[in-house]
Amino acid sequence: MRVSLKWLKDLVDVDLSITDLCDRMDMTGTKVEAVHTLGAALDGVVVGLVLTREKHPDAEKLSYCSVDVGDGEPRNIVCGADNFSAGDKVPVALVGATLPNGLTIKRAKLRGLESQGMLCSATELGVGGDASGLLILSADAPVGESFSAYYGMSDTVLELEVTPNRPDCLSVVGVAREIGAITNKPVKEPRSKPTEADDATGDAVSVTIENPELCSRYTARIIRGVKIGPSPAWLAERVVASGARPINNVVDITNYVMFELGQPLHAFDLSTIAATDDKAAIIVRSAREGETLRTLDGQDRELTAETLVIADPSGPVALAGVMGGESTEVSETTVDILLESASFDRASVSRTSRRLGLISEASIRFERGVDPEIAVRAADRAAELLAEIAGGSVSKGIVDEYPVKARPRRITLRIGRMNDHLGISLVPREVMAILSGLGIYSELAGDDLAVTVPTFRPDIEREVDLHEEVVRVWGMERVPSTLPGGRERVGALTETQARRNRIGVALRAAGLNEHLALAFADPVDMERMSWSLGPDEVPVDLLNPMSGEQSQMRWTLSVGLLKAVSYNQRRGVADVHMYELGTVFWTSPGRKSPKERPMVAGVLAGSWNQAGWNETSVPLDFFDGKGVVETLLDEMDITRWRMRAAVLPWLQPGRAAEIIIGGDVAGWIGEVAPSVLDAYEVTGPVTLFELNVKMLIKASSSEVRYVELPRFPAATLDLALVVDEDVTAERVLDSIRSAGKPLLESVTLFDVYRDAKDAGVRRLPEGKCSLAFSLTYRAADRTLTDEEVKPAHERLVRKVCKAVGAEVRG
Amino acid sequence: MSIVDELRALQAEAVAALGSVSDLGTLEDVRIAFLGKKGSLTAVLRGLGSLPPEERPAVGKVSNEVRVALEEAIESRRGELAGAALADRFVAEAIDVTLPGRHRLPGKQHLISQTLDDIVQVFLGLGYKIGEGPEVELDYYNFTALNHPPEHPARAATDTFYVRDLSGDHAAVDGESDVLLRTHTSPVQVHVMERQQPPIYVLAPGRVYRRDVADPSHLPQFTQIEGLVVDEGITFGDLKGTLEHFVREIFGPKRRVRLRPHFFPFTEPSAEVDISCGMCGGSGCRSCSGEGWIEVLGSGMVDPNVFGYVGIDPERYSGFAFGVGAERVAALKYGIPDLRLFVDGDMRFLRQF
Repeated sequence: MRVSLKWLKDLVDVDLSITDLCDRMDMTGTKVEAVHTLGAALDGVVVGLVLTREKHPDAEKLSYCSVDVGDGEPRNIVCGADNFSAGDKVPVALVGATLPNGLTIKRAKLRGLESQGMLCSATELGVGGDASGLLILSADAPVGESFSAYYGMSDTVLELEVTPNRPDCLSVVGVAREIGAITNKPVKEPRSKPTEADDATGDAVSVTIENPELCSRYTARIIRGVKIGPSPAWLAERVVASGARPINNVVDITNYVMFELGQPLHAFDLSTIAATDDKAAIIVRSAREGETLRTLDGQDRELTAETLVIADPSGPVALAGVMGGESTEVSETTVDILLESASFDRASVSRTSRRLGLISEASIRFERGVDPEIAVRAADRAAELLAEIAGGSVSKGIVDEYPVKARPRRITLRIGRMNDHLGISLVPREVMAILSGLGIYSELAGDDLAVTVPTFRPDIEREVDLHEEVVRVWGMERVPSTLPGGRERVGALTETQARRNRIGVALRAAGLNEHLALAFADPVDMERMSWSLGPDEVPVDLLNPMSGEQSQMRWTLSVGLLKAVSYNQRRGVADVHMYELGTVFWTSPGRKSPKERPMVAGVLAGSWNQAGWNETSVPLDFFDGKGVVETLLDEMDITRWRMRAAVLPWLQPGRAAEIIIGGDVAGWIGEVAPSVLDAYEVTGPVTLFELNVKMLIKASSSEVRYVELPRFPAATLDLALVVDEDVTAERVLDSIRSAGKPLLESVTLFDVYRDAKDAGVRRLPEGKCSLAFSLTYRAADRTLTDEEVKPAHERLVRKVCKAVGAEVRG
Repeated sequence: MSIVDELRALQAEAVAALGSVSDLGTLEDVRIAFLGKKGSLTAVLRGLGSLPPEERPAVGKVSNEVRVALEEAIESRRGELAGAALADRFVAEAIDVTLPGRHRLPGKQHLISQTLDDIVQVFLGLGYKIGEGPEVELDYYNFTALNHPPEHPARAATDTFYVRDLSGDHAAVDGESDVLLRTHTSPVQVHVMERQQPPIYVLAPGRVYRRDVADPSHLPQFTQIEGLVVDEGITFGDLKGTLEHFVREIFGPKRRVRLRPHFFPFTEPSAEVDISCGMCGGSGCRSCSGEGWIEVLGSGMVDPNVFGYVGIDPERYSGFAFGVGAERVAALKYGIPDLRLFVDGDMRFLRQF
C-alpha cells in the first residue's frame, strides 16, 4: 500500500519527522517497507506537447515524434510507447537530464533516426508504478514548464506492509486514523454532499441482488453529462502517488476515492446497460455455466456458477469486485455514468480472483473486507468530484439495496483479564483512551468496559483482538519481560530422542560429515537406481512440484548422497564421506497420508585422507563402510547383528550385504553398481549404506552393565585353517566361539590368504583359502596351565575342522 | 710387595682403566676384570687366607675399602656413560615438530543441525520437551486448526506443495487434495495439544516446505523450530522474556531485541521479532537494508480459536507460540551468503563448521 504523505497531512496533523513516524508505525504494526521521495532531481524534465507522431520507418514498435518543449525549437524524439497521440501533453526529458533511475539522456540514433530527448512514463520519473506507457498530462499543462514544478512534486510516499487483518489501512483515511491513534492527533475525515439535480436516480436505474449472502450492499448513483478528459494535475498526482496510472478524469476519480476511503467504485457507461421498464437494470447474481465476459483488459473470461457477476438483462457486465467488462466501460464518448459502490463477500471475490488469476486494486480490498457502511459516503464523494471536475450533473438520490446490514460489534473487555493476559497493569481510563484514538467507543460497566467496534474494523471480533489493539498502541516495548513461572517441568530429551542423537555422534566419530539434502526425488531415480518399493508401495507424488526432477518425495536417502558425491567430484573434491539422518516417504493405494520413515544413510568415496609425508592415501572400499556401520552399532550398544551377502540391484553383485539386527533386515551396505555410478556421473568405488533408524533405536540396549576386568593372565594361541572359498568367515568364527566354550575369551581373524590367480607356486589347493586366527584363552578364577589349554585347544580345532570342513594349515 | 700395596696398585690400575672406558659394554668388562669371580681383586682376596691371622683384619679392611671404592667408581662411570648415551639418543631421535601430525578427523555436524542443537539446549534449560510431527500433513493440521480461513492465500497451489491423496477422498479445500507438505512446524502445536493437556512446554524442530524457487535467500525446503507454551497464567510478557533470552543465548548478549506487532492467523496478539543488526550494531547498513534491525522470527499468544480446535479452555489457560527458521539464524550468525550452500553437500562447506 502506497500512501502520499501530502495526502495524509490533509487529514491528520503529522508533526513527527519521517524517520520517527516510520519507527512509530513499525512498532505499532504497520511496517513501513520503503520511503519514496517523488520529484527528486528531475531537472531537465519539462512538459511537452506532441506535435506529430509518425511510425518509425525501420522499426515496427517505435514512433518518431516532433515535440514542442516551449523554446520554439521542437525536438525530434523516438519513442517506444503506444498510449499517446499528437496533441497529448507528456513529460519530456531533454538531453542532459538525469532520471531517478540514473539514466542520463543523450543525443542518440535509434534505428537510424536521431532522438533529441525522451518521452517518459511515471516509473521512469519515479512518480508511480506504471511503466506500461507514457504519463499523459492534463490538457491545461503549460508547455515548457518544469515537470516537477507543474506536477507539484515534492511529495513523500510511504510504502506500507498492511497485514491481512487490517483492510481499513488500505485507504488514506484508514492510515490517517491509525497515525492519529498512535500519535494522539485528531483526524479530519473528508465528507461530501453533492449538489443534486432534479431527475431522480430511482427513475433511471434499478438494482436487484439475487445473492444477498455474497453482496450485502449495492448502491448506484447516476451522473449525467460528464466530459471525459485528462485529470487535473493534483488528481493525477495523487493517483500516481498511490501507484496507479492516470487514465481519464472519470476513472481517476473512482480510483482516487478508492485510495482515499478504501471503497472500490466502478463507473459504467449508463447507455450501455440494458434496461427493463426504461430503467437500467443492475442484477447481482451468480454467473450461469457457459456465460463469458470480456473484461477491461481485453481478455475473454469463462464464468462458472461460483462467479458472482453484475449483470443487466442481456448478460454479465462485470466480475463483482474484481474487474469491469469491456462493453460497458467508460470511453471518450461516454456522457452518462452509472456509479457502483457496493460490498461483496470476501471469500467469493477471493475465489474468483484466484481462479481467473486476476488481481486488481478492487479485488485486493474486497478480499480483505470493505466496510459496507461507507458505500454511500464513497458514492457521494465520487459524485461530487465528478460534478466538480468532469462537469457532471448528479441525479437526485441514491439507489441503495442493503439486504444485510452491518452493525457495530459489541464486546465486553475485562480489564483484569486483559492485564493478566498481557502481563501489564493498565487502568480503565488508559484503555479507553487508546481505544478512543482508534475510533472504538467504550464505556465503563463495573470493572469491565463495554466496547463498540466500528464497522471499519472487521478484524476486531473478540476480547483478545482488543488486547492486541491495546498492547500495540500502548507499546510492546513497554511490556515487562518475564519468564513463565509454571511448576513441575523438567526439560529433557526422551530416551528415543537421546538415542537418535547418538547415531549422528557415532557416525561423526567414525569420520562421516553430515549432509542435509532436499527431500524431493525424480521419478527417473527409481530406474537409475534399479530400485523397487515393497509390494503395494508407491512413491509419494507431488501435485504441484517445482520441476519434474523434484516431483516426488524421496524413498531413499541414497540418491541424495550419490548426487552429493557427484557434486563434489565435479568440483575436484574426491574424498567424500558423509551421512544423512532424514525421512523417506511412500504410500499405498487407498492411503490418505503417506508413510514416513526416519532413515540414516552414509556414503564413502575416495580415501579418508590425501597422502601425506607420513601417511598414505588408501582407497575406501566395502570394509571401510562396514567399519563405519560397526562403529555405529557398537556405539548404539547393539550386539545382536550380522551381515549377510545379498543381491540388491543398485549394488555391485558380490559386494553387497543386508544388515540384520535381531533377526530383522534393518538395512544394507555395499559398493554401488557400475550402472548406478554411471547414471549419477560418479567415479567409483563408492560404498553406500542405509539403515532404519527406528530399528536401530529399538535394538539399542538401554542397560549396559559392568563386566569384571580379567585378573589372571591369558594364553594366546594362533590357528590357521584352510577352508573352501564359499565358507564364510562368519561361519568359521561362530564355530570357533561355540567350540571354545568356556575357556575361549576372544578370537581375532588376523589374516586371510588365497593364492593369486596367476601365482606360479600354489600354496593352497584349488578353491581354498586360509584364515588365520588368534585365540585368547582365559579363566576368571585362575591362571591357566598348558595342561589345561592344550587339550581345550585341540578339542576346539577338531570340532571346528569337522564343522566347517577345514584343515589346519601346516 | 705387600698385599696392601698390591691392593692399592690394583685400585689405581682400575681407576685408570675406568677413565678410558667409553661405553657401557667396556665398563662391564672392566668391572668383571677387577670385581668378577675371576677378577684381580677377587684373586688378591683369595690370597688372604695365607696371611697370618694377626694381619688379616688390617688387610681385610683395606681390601674392603678398595672394593667399595671400585664399585662406586664403576657406578659413577656407569651414570656418566648412560647420560651420554641418552643424550646421543635424543640428538639422533630429534624431529621437526612443525611437520604435520597424523590424524583421522572426525566428521562435522551440519550447520543446521548444530543450530538446532544450540536452540534445543536453550529451551531444554528452560524446561521444554521436544515434540515431533509428520512432514506430510493434512490441511486440517497445517491450516484449519491453526485458524486459517478457507480462502487463506497460503493454501494456494502456488505456495504450498500438495501430495496426491490415494484414499479416494475428494478434498473440499482448494484443489484436488488436502494432503500437503507442511509449510511450517506449527501443526505440531495442534498434535501436541490434541495429545496432551497443559501444562505444555514444547519445542518442535523439523523440516518444512514452501513452493519457492531456490535462490540465495530461498529454498523450497527449510528447517523451522516451533515453540509452544500453554499453562495457567502465561502472559505476553512471558513470551517477550522467553524470546529475549533465546536471542541473547543464540546471538550473544550484545544484541538488542524488539517485538513488532504483526498478524498471524493462529496467534493474537502477534509479533515479529527483530534483532539489532550484527554488522552495524543497529545504525543501519547494507546487510539490514539500512534499518538497523533484522527480522528473525514470528510469535504471538495462542489464539483462542486454536484452543477451540483442540479442546483447551481459553478461560483457564493461555499460551504463546513462536517459529524461527534455522537457516536464517545460521545464515545471520555465520554470514552465509547463499542458502543453497546448506543443501548442496559440498564437503568444503560441510567441513567449515
